Parts: sequence; C-alpha cells; structure tokens
Amino acid sequence: MRTPLTVTRIAHACQLIEIGNIRILTDPWFTQTETYYPGEPLHLAADALGPIDALVVSHEHYDHCDLDALVAAGFDLATPLIGPGTVATLARGKGFRDIRAIEAWESTTVAGLTVTATPGAHGVHEVTFVIQADGRTVFFGGDSLRVPEMDAIPQRFGPIDLAILPVNGLCIRPMNLAQVVMNAEDAAALTAVLRPTLAVPHHYAFHSGRLGDRMITKGDQDPRHYADAVARIAPDIDVRLALPGVAVTVP
Amino acid sequence: MSTPVPAGTLRPTRTRTVDVESGGPAEITLQDRDRTRPFLLLHGGGGPATMAGFADLLAERTHSRVLLPTHPGFAGTPKPDALTDVTALARAYVALLDQLDLQDVTLVGNSFGGWLAAEIALLGSPRVSGAVIIDGVGIEVEGHPPTDVTGLTPAQLKAHSFHDPSKAPVPPKADGNESGNDSGPSPDVRALIGYTGPTMSDPTLAGRLGDLHVPVLVLWGESDRIVTPAYGRAYAAAIPMATFTLLPRTGHLPQVETPEELLGALLDLGR
Repeated sequence: MRTPLTVTRIAHACQLIEIGNIRILTDPWFTQTETYYPGEPLHLAADALGPIDALVVSHEHYDHCDLDALVAAGFDLATPLIGPGTVATLARGKGFRDIRAIEAWESTTVAGLTVTATPGAHGVHEVTFVIQADGRTVFFGGDSLRVPEMDAIPQRFGPIDLAILPVNGLCIRPMNLAQVVMNAEDAAALTAVLRPTLAVPHHYAFHSGRLGDRMITKGDQDPRHYADAVARIAPDIDVRLALPGVAVTVP
Repeated sequence: MSTPVPAGTLRPTRTRTVDVESGGPAEITLQDRDRTRPFLLLHGGGGPATMAGFADLLAERTHSRVLLPTHPGFAGTPKPDALTDVTALARAYVALLDQLDLQDVTLVGNSFGGWLAAEIALLGSPRVSGAVIIDGVGIEVEGHPPTDVTGLTPAQLKAHSFHDPSKAPVPPKADGNESGNDSGPSPDVRALIGYTGPTMSDPTLAGRLGDLHVPVLVLWGESDRIVTPAYGRAYAAAIPMATFTLLPRTGHLPQVETPEELLGALLDLGR
C-alpha cells in the first residue's frame, strides 16, 4: 500500500502537506494588514498547527513568509526551515536555528523527507520545490511565474503525485502591470508538462483591499479558469479546487 | 506598517440568536459573516448635507455599506472638549471603526474631510485600506495659499466653490424644507476652526503625508478656487502611493456639482 498523501490549505499558499506521518508546512501566512487580505478563511491559527517536521518557504514576501506570526505563536524554532538564501537570512534574524538554504536543483533531507529547490521567478528571488518522501513526490509552485527550466522536473524526479500551482497571474500595477505570478493558462501548460496524478491550484483568493486592488495589484480570483484550461489541454489530469481546511487525499 | 493582526479577526463570524415573530415567537440561531467593504464619508465645512446625496449614489452603485458621520460640533451637534484638533477627531473615528468591527474601510473626504481622511490613515489602523481625498485642505503649499473663506459673502463663496455657480445645486434646508435656500452650502466656520485652528492648516501635515502607506486617490475639481489644482498636485505628490485625477467642469465640491463624474473617477481607477 502506498504512503498516504494529503494536502490541506491553511490559506493562500500556506499548505499543510502530509506524507504518512511527516507534516510539512509551506509558505506560512496567518495575519492580515491594510493591503494584504487572504480573501478566504484561515483554516488554522498559527498556534493550532500541531507538530511540523519541516517549514518550506519559497521567498520572503510577507504573504508567504509570515515568520513573525509563527514566532509570536510559540512555533518551535528548532524546526528545519528550508528556503532560498534570501529567506534563510531573514529566518536567522527571527531566531530559527535549523536553517537549510537551498537554491535551484539543490537538496536537503529531514528524517526521510527530501526537499529539492527547483527554479522559480517572481518580483523577488524565489524558488519552487519538489518535496519527496516514501515514494511520494509533490511539486510546490509557491507564487512563481512559469519558467522553462521547470519543464525538466519530470525527467529529474519521475512521476509526480501532486502539483500545487499558483494561478492568479498577479500583476503589479505600479510596475506597468508587470506579471509576477503564473496565470491560469501558464499553470495549465505547466500542468500538462508535469503530468501529476492530481493538481491543486492556490494563490487566487488574495486581495489588496478596495483601492489596493485598483492601485497596487491585479489578479484573477477565479480558480475555475485554471480547471477549464487543464480540461482543455490535458483532459486526463485531475484538478481539485479545494477550500481552506478541506483535506485533499491524493490516490 | 501597523502590526499585522490574525487573519479574519477584525471582522469575525458572529453567531447569535434572533427572536422573531412568525405565528408565535421563534428563536433562530444565526451565523453572520460580513465581508462588505465599507466607505466612511467625511464631510467638509459645509456639513453632512454636502455628502448625503453622494452617499446615496455611492451606496446604490457599489452596493456597499456607506457610513456618513456628522463631525461632532457640526449641524448643531455637541462637541466634546477632548476633541481639540484634527488628530483627536481622527482618533475618535478609528475608535468608531473599532467599535463597528469594520475592515477594508475606504475613507472618502472632501475639503476638511480630506484632511481628516489623511489624519485617520496616518494613524495606521489595520481597518483602513485606502483613502480618497477630494479637494482636501490642511497642507501648506508655497505660492498656493487656500482662499480664506471667512470673509466671503455667500455669492463670493459660491463663485469660488463651483465651476458654474449658476448651476450650483440648491441643497435642502437643514429643517427638511424642500424649497431650500439659494446661498448654497456654506461652511460652518466656527465648527471648523474648533478643529483646525484659525489658520485652517497644519504646517507639519505635508511632511507627515510621506508616512502614508495605504493607496490614496487624490481627486480635484479643475475649477476649484478655494484650493487650486496646483495645490492638489502638491497634495498628491506628498503621498507615496497616490494618484492624482483632475475632474473637468468641477469646483471645490465635486460630490455636489458633478457626483457622477466623481463616482466614475473613483470606480474607473485601475481598469
């Protein structure tokens, strides 16, 4: 029997990935500010996570790297924190003690779990991740753009059980609407290359407040656009749109 | 940036029981989730009457909750001694937002209300997500002093306030009499000075606007002769995340003179 694999969104790109008994938390975000709203209910508060075996962080933006909320909630700072150098520097300053800085194609292991950074691109330095344990493989796309190097992932890692991809195509208005996150079409095209058993979109409910949505960010808040695009170009791949708190089990 | 708060806690799901009468008393347990984005409308010296029409328009067109308070001391309301200046009034409004459990609030202020919107936003409440400053006052701009309204006759005031004084709308009288008067909205100077002081400006405000970190929309009537468009541009330039939009054929009170154009400028933003 295969090791059980489930994923539960806390909110936004903060996902609780469970492979057997190993619990991995990605891109933590538990709070809100004037111009950053999760746009969906928070499934768990930072102090209700339970034991976490590894914290995996794609980049240092507040809505993906809310280390302050974890520290304030008494999170165990001995938990391995895996991320690019930019995140490692930040985490060191917050008191995390087991920091694994990895860049694209570098790996680290935590008791039966192997996390490999894969290429990414965003407004700031970002990596994505391939997370593997007990014969299970998960691709975590953070809020990256699609970059061509990602297409090498299946050759390097073999079959992918679960792909978690951002889909809102976020554009930054003050940067001439520069796109910093893959959109539904980009994500669907990547899905067709990765060919996961199951694909789950995230990073679409977020908003910047009433004026912020008009003056700071522009994003697609409808995950069906991704599901429709995958149905069109890779109809045999299963897509699951899941609300925060819904545990999605991968066959 | 103010301290982040746990997501969802500013406006949590409330569960309560409601007693209704329907063929006998019944108690209904109700979960209440409210993610409405409210507007807080801040009137200028002319009082709440200068904002009420626009409040209706804004609420109907955006299906939002629109709150229009009367600043204490205006329209015959009592003014407590503690409200000594604009910052004190701003603090009172943040307390109001706290009490009403609001979040993602957009401030909309005209004239003195624009100054007040800036002061509220400067307090950094996590409940306030943006501000719209319409022909605001309060800063000091070299070479562009605001017109001193205290010595103007009603006719002069009208000429300074409207692009076309002959088309200035006649607001209803405060007593609700539909026939109205022809003097137009005139500022309650005494109530105003109670907050602003006699100079009706704050020499520190322009510098402090640099600390604003929420998006701000600065809208200005191109025919405003109380505070000119050049003054408005300086207002926007003092705010890091601000856009400046000029409203044609409009004076100092866009929400009264060209409300549809004002609403359009507010809603078209970022399309």
